[in-house]
Amino acid sequence: MSPLNSEEIQAQIRSSSITASPELRARVRELAAAAPSAAPPRRELPWRRWSLVLVPACLAVALAASLAVGLATSDKDRQRSAAADEAKPTGTVFSTEAAHDAATLAAPPAAKTVGGAAGTGLRQQGRAQLYQSELTLKVKDLSTATKRVLRLTRSFNGYVKSVEYGSGSERGSAYIVVRVPIGSVQAALVKLSGFGTILDQHVSIQDVQPQFDKRFREMQGLRDQVAKLQAQLTAPTLSTDQRKALEDELVAARRQLITLQVAQARLQKQTSFATVEVDLRSSDKAVIVPVEPNRIQRALDRSGSILLDELKVVVYVLIVGAPLLMLAVLGFGSLRVRRRRTETRLLST
Amino acid sequence: MLRRRRISDVHAVAEVPSFASVAERHLDDVHGYLVYFTRDRDVAEDLTAETFEKALKQWRRFDPRRGSARTWLCQLARTVALDHFRAEDRRRRREGAYAAAEPGQPGDGLFGGLSPELERALAALSAGEREVIALRVLLDLDGDAAARVLGISVTSCSTRLSRALKKLEERMNADVAA
Repeated sequence: MSPLNSEEIQAQIRSSSITASPELRARVRELAAAAPSAAPPRRELPWRRWSLVLVPACLAVALAASLAVGLATSDKDRQRSAAADEAKPTGTVFSTEAAHDAATLAAPPAAKTVGGAAGTGLRQQGRAQLYQSELTLKVKDLSTATKRVLRLTRSFNGYVKSVEYGSGSERGSAYIVVRVPIGSVQAALVKLSGFGTILDQHVSIQDVQPQFDKRFREMQGLRDQVAKLQAQLTAPTLSTDQRKALEDELVAARRQLITLQVAQARLQKQTSFATVEVDLRSSDKAVIVPVEPNRIQRALDRSGSILLDELKVVVYVLIVGAPLLMLAVLGFGSLRVRRRRTETRLLST
Repeated sequence: MLRRRRISDVHAVAEVPSFASVAERHLDDVHGYLVYFTRDRDVAEDLTAETFEKALKQWRRFDPRRGSARTWLCQLARTVALDHFRAEDRRRRREGAYAAAEPGQPGDGLFGGLSPELERALAALSAGEREVIALRVLLDLDGDAAARVLGISVTSCSTRLSRALKKLEERMNADVAA
């Protein structure tokens, strides 16, 4: 036989035929008979297309969620900060007499501290205190500093009580009075101090816990009196005059109790928030009056901070998960390489 | 007798074929490919049946827009055959027997009635070499389709085919000279 070239070999291979045995054919026909006659194939999206869809979808959901939450909470924040009545106190209000008797006797009636540098005047936790702070800062840009003060106040769930702008011939100034929840006042003062050079600072803390406790005792006494009068009124042997006297006494006691409760609640509201007076001074002659942001602006502000929080969570997850992900990828990669090598070895035999 | 073969696997199938028609049409192709790959008719028969079982289970994943049914079936057949080779390899390692299993003897029409010299030459090739010959020559798949089945690039596929054919030619000619 003469040697064959590649073309002839290929022609010979092509002309050959390998057919399945009748048993195999029957086996496959039986299998095919079980299949649905015309099942439409399911269109599966490859993972790359899935990621093209999923990633923008997740971003859109995150954005929508932050906007929705920002919109929902912006008004709530405003209501909460504008009405100090709704604010919950942070650890100062009603204290039971038994717990605070010793502390009340030992505590000074009022404390006034003056600090020129970074003193914030530490308040005593758990006591009702009227906290007032005055801070004078020299700033470079009055307008920016004013806006920052307002933004900071909102971030601490506080509210602006008043803003006054001075337009002196030599330099500009802004006098802002804000109210900040008592629990956040120290943090707020630390941040405010960073807005410029401190020229002056005063902190005044007036301990009103004794007033609280005294009123509490009085209210307790009145409650006992009311209970006692009610019990007396149930006695069947009372004469009409006696009953009338007791009822008058009961009404008076109740009225007095309500008065005390109102006064106590008012004091509670006052001690829930601290007053911070910020005096900003600069060499700027004019100042742009910042407008109190409307609801949309507040919502966008809040949405921005929520988005930032979401981003922080994502970064945190990535940082924590990245080594694990890398390990998983390396593991998967090495398995694939091993599989390929085995395949190559098997195919070379 | 010459079999009618497709010139290339074109992706022109728009309608969805039924599984039964696809199985009937491509049974011999798949079987032939597996005979070349495994060099054993009995094993090839079992693997062919297994391939169609797998194809039936995954039938809903087949998309005619992405390739022809024949290419898809060959891909499945290859996976099934490789799983078989791996299992055999593990079994031999466990049993401590490193000798390869005895294949079907060439010359008894294993490869569909080729000349004895060609059968011997084919049997002497490696599985990878026989596989590429089966896909490109026997089944006449185009470069793209064959590369997809093998999971390699078109260039690598062409290179593999050229080497296999050259080896085949050399063995045949050496056989003839002997």
